[in-house]
Amino acid sequence: MSDAETPPDTTPTPGEQGEDDFEPVEVFPESTEMDLRPGADNCYKCTSCDVSCPVAEVDDEFPGPKFQGPEQWRLKRKEDASVDDSIMSCSNCMRCDDACPSGVPLSQMHNTARGEYVDEEMDKLSREYIRNRILANYGTLAELGSMFPRLTNAIMGNSLVQQINEKVLGITAEREFPDFATQTFREWWNERGGPQVRSEDKRVAYFHGCYSNYNTPEVGKAMVRVFEEFGYEVVVPKQRCSGTPMFANGMLDDAKRAAGINAENFAGLIPEGYDIIASCTSCSMSLRQEYPELFDIDGLEDISEHTYEAMEYLRIHEDLDSALADTSVSEQSFAYHAPCHARNQGLDRQAVELFRDLDGVTIEDVGDSCSGISGTYGWKEEKYDKSMQIGADMFDHMEHADGNVGMTECPTCSMQMEHGTGYDIKHPLQLLEEALV
Amino acid sequence: MSTSPSVLVIGGGSTGTGIARDLAMRGLDVTLVEKGNLTHGTTGRMHGLLHSGGRYAVSDQASAKECIVENRVLRRIAGHCVEMTGGLFVQRPEDSDEYFEKKLEGCRECGIPVEVLSAEEAREQEPYLAKDIKRAIRVPDGAIDPFRLCVANAASAVEHGARIETHSEVTDVLVEDGEVVGVEVTHKSGTGPYVHGNPGEVEEIRADYVVNATGAWAGQIGDLAGVDVEVRPSKGVMTIMNTRQVDTVVNRCRPKGDADIIVPHETTCILGTTDEEVEDPEDYPEEGWEVDLMIDTLSELVPMLKDARTIRSFWGVRPLYEPPGTGTEDPTDITREFFLLDHADRDDLPGMTSIVGGKLTTYRMMAEKISDHVCEKVGVDAECRTADVPLPGSEDFSVLRDYMDDFGLRSPIGRRSVQRLGSRADDVLTSVDPNPVVCECEAVTRAEIQDSLDTAGTDLNSVRIQTRASMGNCQGAICCHRMATELAPEYDEDVVRASLDDLYQERWKGERHGMWGEQLSQAALKHMLHATTMNRDSDPAATESGVDFAAFDDGAVADGDRDAHAVSEVNDGDY
Repeated sequence: MSDAETPPDTTPTPGEQGEDDFEPVEVFPESTEMDLRPGADNCYKCTSCDVSCPVAEVDDEFPGPKFQGPEQWRLKRKEDASVDDSIMSCSNCMRCDDACPSGVPLSQMHNTARGEYVDEEMDKLSREYIRNRILANYGTLAELGSMFPRLTNAIMGNSLVQQINEKVLGITAEREFPDFATQTFREWWNERGGPQVRSEDKRVAYFHGCYSNYNTPEVGKAMVRVFEEFGYEVVVPKQRCSGTPMFANGMLDDAKRAAGINAENFAGLIPEGYDIIASCTSCSMSLRQEYPELFDIDGLEDISEHTYEAMEYLRIHEDLDSALADTSVSEQSFAYHAPCHARNQGLDRQAVELFRDLDGVTIEDVGDSCSGISGTYGWKEEKYDKSMQIGADMFDHMEHADGNVGMTECPTCSMQMEHGTGYDIKHPLQLLEEALV
Repeated sequence: MSTSPSVLVIGGGSTGTGIARDLAMRGLDVTLVEKGNLTHGTTGRMHGLLHSGGRYAVSDQASAKECIVENRVLRRIAGHCVEMTGGLFVQRPEDSDEYFEKKLEGCRECGIPVEVLSAEEAREQEPYLAKDIKRAIRVPDGAIDPFRLCVANAASAVEHGARIETHSEVTDVLVEDGEVVGVEVTHKSGTGPYVHGNPGEVEEIRADYVVNATGAWAGQIGDLAGVDVEVRPSKGVMTIMNTRQVDTVVNRCRPKGDADIIVPHETTCILGTTDEEVEDPEDYPEEGWEVDLMIDTLSELVPMLKDARTIRSFWGVRPLYEPPGTGTEDPTDITREFFLLDHADRDDLPGMTSIVGGKLTTYRMMAEKISDHVCEKVGVDAECRTADVPLPGSEDFSVLRDYMDDFGLRSPIGRRSVQRLGSRADDVLTSVDPNPVVCECEAVTRAEIQDSLDTAGTDLNSVRIQTRASMGNCQGAICCHRMATELAPEYDEDVVRASLDDLYQERWKGERHGMWGEQLSQAALKHMLHATTMNRDSDPAATESGVDFAAFDDGAVADGDRDAHAVSEVNDGDY
């Protein structure tokens, strides 16, 4: 029997352990059970994760990542079906992963516990489950909404509809639903006839995700134009949601289905020389870290190793500094916020480092706080106030910054920045496009 | 004044507390004395296996049969101390088929229910078993908490009128006219719960009959009475892993040998053991190679043990005995049966009996036998009821499991608390408000700590064994001082400090055997936390001069209302 043949780097701390080490994930490939108790070995209870947790800071009821992760797993017995319900208050910002000095697979433990909780303990007819399922499957919702974007925008923007959303579904009425674009990114892509540049050795496959397809196609277009400017062949495979909102709501089955489709459409391109590029830092995070941690599907390991955030990729392979040195843009100044998921990939300084010397641009980092929205978290009626409390630091720093345009890589951070300050928000790729194309 | 015969029991382990309970239930006037806290000797230093009898099914069938009988009894009367994990005897390719068949046959002969599992079936149950195992035998082994078991026996004895004195060492056995009439006891802190810093006193306790249930220490008590009790103490090492790599007791299916068992115990696994004769049950070498042997050998069964985290190691001493003249060379060959030595028959010294040998699983049966014997000696005719009446905490336990959500505790914390407290959960967990978690590793709340203090006095090690607080992976780094805080304001600062020191040092005793990998980081963090926040590395309070605590800001807010203060801070704006 060929059990226990899990991919080698599903260990919690890749690179730190040898081949003979334990395999904490999916001991039997055909089983969906995971046993993360051994991951608790790495925790020596220093509490750095709790200190870094933005939810614990504002929510006294939330016990924090140390309890949610290593403590809860260690206290579990195999037959226990009782993950504590507080797991649903974790926003999945993943800052704890970054804070841990000892390689505890915290977010993997949280994601797995949340999946188990939703599977085994949440009432599938409850308002919370239905609301979370809708939020987690934003891509499906957006697909429908984008068929008649103007009508949908009018309906979703109606305050009566917003009140109904809050009362019936528990989606906060405080936030404006993002507008759907009248032409999606993919419609634009097909209309222009796909790739305009062909190349044998500079090839990327674009993972646009849901938001830049349905809501901000200008980000996707900027990505394509910048990469084509540098001579890359860009392809846009069929794709589903990266899974980020599904992980955050414990909808692991939905996420696994989507991951399977993405694996099917992207993994085959890698041997042909394509790397995978995302313009959303949560999408790249998911493909890089969460996929191999949570699912055992052929191709995910390859995808994980070949996925990059768009600007990160250009900074590795092109001389962006020189390219930007010879150009300039109209006077503008930005208040830049690094999303938590960008931080976890080590990308939190890239926009500032890149643009601070660009002629015409002033850019200021508004600090290392979390924006507070964390994808779907801030959309939940009962979490809205906490979301705004978490974001208060960022709003404050944005107000104090010179710029009155916000900048960030993450679509939901940008919603929060706009919501809290009224600023317009740009994606770094849009500025890059303005400077280079 | 009681008119029933009085019995003095020496030794607060499983046997002693079991005897005390049995005799008290039969209406005798019982006093138990123990030189440390309960389980201080061998009982607190075993791997917590509730034997099915499978381990003895080939070599010692008499013991095996007793085990399976008592296994069923304990599940009935001590449900809150037992976790029925089930057990496996696992055969590796190099282990003999012949022995496997013998084991299977032996179990059947002894009435132990068995089932043969293929390698796939065994690995489905325990996924971390080695990939190349051949097959396994399933038996009804379980895990038992010896601490909780002894505490429950003692509590039951007290309910039936017994007196239990811990921290009370027998310093002489009183012999008058060729007969044992009692003992002289030196109390570390006066009678009653142990309080650090109180001066001790010497007490003569007279009794109609004395039972020496001191196990490996039986020879020393014998010496005080002038008789020879030839116990052959044999040490064994046990190593505690941080998590449960297995949820089933895993035995190696081969003839006796070192390092052949893994017992899942609460949040941990305990690896055992060795078998080596020692001279003195309190002074023997604890050696690194013994720990290495556990990990190296047992990782043949469960490979991930090699890289898993060890939190501490400890050694226990078996109270092995064999009748004079048997002359067994290897301690592993000495029988595990127990022996009742009536010193009247044996040494012409009436008034005292010693009990030696045996094992935890059969403690109740041993207690019953010796209680029968004592009753006969003192002329009491009473039935043993210990096999039928549940221990305190184990009454209607199954019903309570359904209500564990009601205690306002987070799910795993509620679960573990209820498992420890059994039917006492409701009383204990609702007694304190607010009820924060004190020990995070083992999910022990303040209510449980407070409850244990009723009998612990200032002995935090007694709190520890009753609750498991400080027994998790941080070994008290986060909770030792929180536990000590619970002693205030009833006890003064110097007493609290002495209690804290005792607990801290006791933890370190076992921690020092696991100083590598994550546990080394853990120990360093623990030391730094305590050194930098409690001055443990150079403690001015330990310099005799005392600390002027009144000079410190006590943190109290003028209007006595923290929330109001916090709000006003916000409103005050910048400062």
